[in-house]
Amino acid sequence: MRNIYQPQEVKVISVSRESIDTVLLRFQFIDKKRQKAFAFLPGQFMQIGFPGWGECPISICSSSADSKKYFELAVRDVGQLTHKINELKNGDEAWVRGPFGNGFDTGLYTGKELILIGGGCGFVPLRPLIIDCLAGRIKPKSLKIFYGCLNEDTLLFKKQYPEWNRGAELSVILEKPTERWHGEKGLITALIQKRQISSSAVVVMVGPPIMYRFAVKELEAKKIKAQNIWVSLERRMYCGVGVCQHCAIGPYYVCKDGPVFSYSQLKDIPNAL
Amino acid sequence: MSGHELSAFIFVLICVIILLIMLKEDDKLKRLITAVFRDYFVYAPVKRDGRLLAQEAKVPDEIDWSGKLTENSWKELFLPHREKLFEGRQGLAETKGEQPPVACLGMNILDLKALTLFDLVFGNDVYYQNRRQKTVVIGYGADWPNSYKKSKVFSHNFKEDALEHVSFDVFIAGRKGGEPIFYSGSSVGRKLLESCRIKDFENIKFAGAIAESGPDKRMLEIKGKLERSANHYLWDNLDQVCLACGKCTVACPTCFCFDLEDKANPDDPRRDRRWGSCFYNDFSLVAGGHQELDTVRKKIFFWYYHKFVRIPKEYSHVGCVSCGRCTRTCPVGIDIAKNIAKISKLK
Repeated sequence: MRNIYQPQEVKVISVSRESIDTVLLRFQFIDKKRQKAFAFLPGQFMQIGFPGWGECPISICSSSADSKKYFELAVRDVGQLTHKINELKNGDEAWVRGPFGNGFDTGLYTGKELILIGGGCGFVPLRPLIIDCLAGRIKPKSLKIFYGCLNEDTLLFKKQYPEWNRGAELSVILEKPTERWHGEKGLITALIQKRQISSSAVVVMVGPPIMYRFAVKELEAKKIKAQNIWVSLERRMYCGVGVCQHCAIGPYYVCKDGPVFSYSQLKDIPNAL
Repeated sequence: MSGHELSAFIFVLICVIILLIMLKEDDKLKRLITAVFRDYFVYAPVKRDGRLLAQEAKVPDEIDWSGKLTENSWKELFLPHREKLFEGRQGLAETKGEQPPVACLGMNILDLKALTLFDLVFGNDVYYQNRRQKTVVIGYGADWPNSYKKSKVFSHNFKEDALEHVSFDVFIAGRKGGEPIFYSGSSVGRKLLESCRIKDFENIKFAGAIAESGPDKRMLEIKGKLERSANHYLWDNLDQVCLACGKCTVACPTCFCFDLEDKANPDDPRRDRRWGSCFYNDFSLVAGGHQELDTVRKKIFFWYYHKFVRIPKEYSHVGCVSCGRCTRTCPVGIDIAKNIAKISKLK
């Protein structure tokens, strides 16, 4: 019987410091066969950790088109384990399980206006969608990206903005920028209010719970249906397979039935968002 | 020998034969227990210091055959309070210890039902399965099946074919003033009974955890009502009363929440699994300090929701077996049967 708790060893093959508190790491399985067989969907996550340090769930942020070669995780330094991950260098090893979760149902975006809304490190799981849309693997009619962040120091994936702006409409808004910032200032909800969004658009939104509560109101004001609003949730979790109960919300498990849910699935569950 | 003496001799002989036959019949249970004590570490209902607990029995005489539910559940034997999953010295290597042979002797039918749920939940868990394969499960009902009919089961309906839908190897049905009836529920149970020269047992074929006629109707009714009860005043009342001490989660035979916990101790780095409790603050705490279940109301609703909605939804099996242990252990007298009765009144 396969041990569902058995992690596998991976090696860091490149490190890029994305922001003041977040590192982008590219990993490869030590076991070459495992790497060749590795496959995932955008929106799925891995459990990453070290012996003696525990595991934490982190969304995969590279494109599934490269899954046979490597996968990438962008990890924000918010606790002991994520701090240790942030200190990883080229050639260092870590232990992973996964991929877990349902991932984004990208077939639903075909021919639709696709709106991606990211708040803070919630921008991370949206990156594979952006890459796959620009490469033509996901085929929306148009792509708009709204990204809200605290300040310039915490902006993620800056190097890719010129490329993303060519293939999509990228809007960045900062809550507390420095005086040097010439872009928009405020909360992500301000972007949703200002921009044209058709009522038939499909919205994928990832961010903190407080962002969901306010952003959903703005989207509903734009007549976007609950079943066309998708979110990815974050919860404490251990097993990754719907047993340990930590990530349960109402009848669902974030690790197994999620992390991606439509707003129509969640709106009647108390405290889901 | 005179005719008188001969008839007296024949009478004594017949008496001896009858006595031997009676002894032989009586010995069935004795033979089974002797075999179990010879081959296994035996856990059974044992009364010590006035408390009836499922615990290790050293000698057969210690076993309590009243058929009463033990104060504690049996789950520790199937899902230990703490177990080492991985050795962390060189990477993470699966802990592979030889499991000791354990006999759970005298499990009540309600505990067998809880075990059946565990078998579903941990069906693909290698640690659980390794332990389970080394465990022989011997159920017992005093005055069976009348004792079950009399117990106040509120979470599901009692069916006459209860034994067909629970996991066990041997079931001993005690009868008032008569010999027990033996049932086998698996090939392990059959072999065990045969090895004790017990031949007249009834073979029960496990027909799956869920009855052929579909999931239990009362379970589904409670599920539907509890799903819609988020705004019920019951949860406001419990919010005021419940201490969130988590004793019910320890006592409950179906509470199986767990944490994975790493120890960085350089002498013994390891990854453990240990029981969790949805009443404790770290249960839903995430990085950054956000705690999903941040009120007692949310915690106790989460607990009921797991038992009466999530488990039935996922496994079509009851998540509460009506043993009443949570009620008995609760320091402030929260009564699960009364609360479910309140929920059942919802339209």
